[in-house]
Amino acid sequence: METVFINKLKPLLDAVAEQMALLLPKKTGEHYIYSRYDPSGEIPVEFNNIRPCTPIKEFLLPVCELAATSPEPLEPEDVKPFAIFGLKDCDLRSIEILDKVFADEEFRDPFYVKRRENMFIISSDCFEVGENCFCNLFGGRPFAQSGFDLNVSKVKDGFIIEAGSQKGRDFTEKHPQLFTETSGALLAERDENRSRTQRRLEQNNAEYQFDAPTKEIVEKSQDSEIFDVEARNCVECQACTRICPTCHCFYLYDTKQKDYFAKMKMWDSCMRVGYAAVAGGANPYKILGDRIKHRLLHKFVYFLDRYGKDMCVGCGRCVDGCAGEVDIRTVLKKLSEEFKDKEKAKVTK
Amino acid sequence: MSQNPYQPINGEIVDIIDESQTIKTFVIVPEEKFKFEAGQFVELTLPGEGEAPFTPSSSPADTEKIEITIMKAGRVTGLLHQCKKGQKVGIRGPYGNGYPIDDFVGKYIYIVAGGVGLAPMRSVFLTLLDRINDFKSVVCRLGARTPDNFIFKNTLFWSWQKIDGVEIKLTVDKADADWDGNVGVVTTICDKKDVDVKNAVAVICGPPIGMKYATLKLLGFGFDAENIYLSMEKNMSCGIGKCGHCMIGKYYVCKDGPVFTYEQIKQYPDIWD
Repeated sequence: METVFINKLKPLLDAVAEQMALLLPKKTGEHYIYSRYDPSGEIPVEFNNIRPCTPIKEFLLPVCELAATSPEPLEPEDVKPFAIFGLKDCDLRSIEILDKVFADEEFRDPFYVKRRENMFIISSDCFEVGENCFCNLFGGRPFAQSGFDLNVSKVKDGFIIEAGSQKGRDFTEKHPQLFTETSGALLAERDENRSRTQRRLEQNNAEYQFDAPTKEIVEKSQDSEIFDVEARNCVECQACTRICPTCHCFYLYDTKQKDYFAKMKMWDSCMRVGYAAVAGGANPYKILGDRIKHRLLHKFVYFLDRYGKDMCVGCGRCVDGCAGEVDIRTVLKKLSEEFKDKEKAKVTK
Repeated sequence: MSQNPYQPINGEIVDIIDESQTIKTFVIVPEEKFKFEAGQFVELTLPGEGEAPFTPSSSPADTEKIEITIMKAGRVTGLLHQCKKGQKVGIRGPYGNGYPIDDFVGKYIYIVAGGVGLAPMRSVFLTLLDRINDFKSVVCRLGARTPDNFIFKNTLFWSWQKIDGVEIKLTVDKADADWDGNVGVVTTICDKKDVDVKNAVAVICGPPIGMKYATLKLLGFGFDAENIYLSMEKNMSCGIGKCGHCMIGKYYVCKDGPVFTYEQIKQYPDIWD
């Protein structure tokens, strides 16, 4: 572990911004939303204590982008290196999940891969726990575990910077004047902060301990009525899928431009009624409860079967963003209770 | 070859054949040679209008042109039906898996298809004909709503029926004055004695409800679920296992299918919906 210490964030961010465009979370109302870094210093730099409101996927998979053109074909343009500050462990884990889909060996999405390769990731420890954060239920931590170039941990008198990749090490080595050495006391303070946040996270989610692995619970609950009951609390706004950092469904559509034809790639949502409909009229997910069920099956069963990971990082954004009253933790907990009762009934039979 | 998987190859519609009132075959010449296996599908773009997945109906042996037989069923297919010769199109693919024809060697091949489901079956059929002596025989049970609704009438009603090693039976839901064949859904012309089920594979293609009942009937004959091959229709958009629309359980139909054995997918609900 290579760590250095810095008193203030601004010199660090200035050094990054000298090299490349830098985006960082800015407090907007109650939330943190990414905006372009302003080196003039007019806007004070803030350390985001919790994850930003919006998902990191929007920098890798834009809401809508050009995917192909005709008659002249489209090749992906080169992407200039850019940096993002303030990602949390949940964000890093969501990138890992997107990589599995869009950077796979068989079919690489070159638009995604170009952005991914040029993204300089500066993550940071969670200093507080968001109202709906539940990453601990899905293997997450309130501090980065891997997948960052630099990680920033807030301590009383400044920030501990850890390099997590060659790119990160190159950066700290290139800017020795910015940093001083860390001490054992500082690292101990960081660890204490981390444990404190972890404990708070666990307290907040104590009531959501599940009775079996989520895969088993969801897979064996396909006949449950809970999905239809939960559907009554859903207003079909699709916010959960848009704000989810791991949901990545999209569709392709064609448009006419002035002197060429364009194929666009745009975010889609499995909560949309026509999502899986075919021209012949068949639609396996006509009913909202079935769409909610499919979403959970995809996240906790199918994705795990295929890629060895849950497609949920426990960031809680879907709970924050829900315009109805669906809380994925509550749905899983209800399924878990029902599952436990069914298993008990089996034993007593 | 483009490194952009969303980029189609340009092509042109050089001929359009009316198969029935609602079905046309489009003969397309791509700008580059285009190879595919019977059963794989392509994404056909009508530039500026839209894109939809189709399984070609022509022989994979012809890499100069592709034939795609399309039923007017939705927005894109409706627009395609209005196209004239010379229309520019785009083709992406081929995607997914084809039928494992090599595994069929030495066996009876039982093709059960209905409606526009005969389109991909023609590609399979032509592939089998190239090496017909490799198989015990090719037994086809094909259905259409009315005699006029049959596609590929010229070859289907005449030349194909005379090929050694091929046996074809046809049925219609509703006869006209000239029809002297069977009347009823396709399962009514399927008989346990048609093939030796222990040494046969079944290839089923058609509307979901037809595939469902054909599958159940063949299981009743004693076919193993792993010897029943189904060509699944889902809302494939990207074709490369990313966009999410075509899932059956953990499978992406575009990447892991569209050809599945019944054994692979029988555990999942909604496969026929």
